[in-house]
Amino acid sequence: MKYFSYLICTFMTACLVAAMIGWSMAAGNFLVPLIAIPLGVIVILACRKNVKEKLEDERTCRIRSKAALRTLEVIVIAGAIATVILYSYVVSSPLSPSITGKISSNADGTNSMTINLYKPGSPSLPENLVKSTSIKDINAMNESEAVEYCSYIRESYRENENRGLVGMTLGSTLVILIVTFGAFYLYYNRKY
Amino acid sequence: MKNRIRVLRAEREMTQEQLAELAGVTRNTIISMEKNKYSPSLKLGYRIAHVFGVGIDEVFTYEEAIDGPSGEDDS
Repeated sequence: MKYFSYLICTFMTACLVAAMIGWSMAAGNFLVPLIAIPLGVIVILACRKNVKEKLEDERTCRIRSKAALRTLEVIVIAGAIATVILYSYVVSSPLSPSITGKISSNADGTNSMTINLYKPGSPSLPENLVKSTSIKDINAMNESEAVEYCSYIRESYRENENRGLVGMTLGSTLVILIVTFGAFYLYYNRKY
Repeated sequence: MKNRIRVLRAEREMTQEQLAELAGVTRNTIISMEKNKYSPSLKLGYRIAHVFGVGIDEVFTYEEAIDGPSGEDDS
């Protein structure tokens, strides 16, 4: 097997394992990653063993270590700046308020709802209450009631949004790392 | 660091691929060394000298003007 074939094989295995993990998480099956990850590692190691070309030599190691060091330097500096800039938004405009909702059934068969909005970063206690909205019939809301209802629904999905955001951040960081390392690797490969 | 790898290789009618195989490195490393772009480690230097059957000082020449006082020529 050639080195390039090995790289393609590794990339495809990694994509397959990632897809299987993603699917299993969505389906709530946590057994799949336990099998897929070791299997993926075994496939990659088996491919690596079959590479006929010389994988490691002194020059390649030196180029890789130089590229890795430069990547680390660049990412640490850029990451620190980006972190400070992005986190300053949280400091300058504080956290979003917490919203709770309670649905109750009425005697006439309709469902009413009470939506409470609390101070940002405070527990959901009466003394922290900023605003309370009552929707008499959730099947016949007016515009302002619908806006409150949407805010409440969105709040319930916030955790998933946050997880998605963290996932996207990690993914972007990974892509930036690979691209930066690749750029430095090519630069030093040309230089030496 | 200057070297005579190309000359010694030509004298022995050896290809870059053959030398790389015998020295345990890739062909790219040999190419870089022949172009004086890459200075090998002491271990690789000795290995190459051993392949040619000569002393290390017959293959590599240290030059203060090029290598600098620390010997770091690859910045």
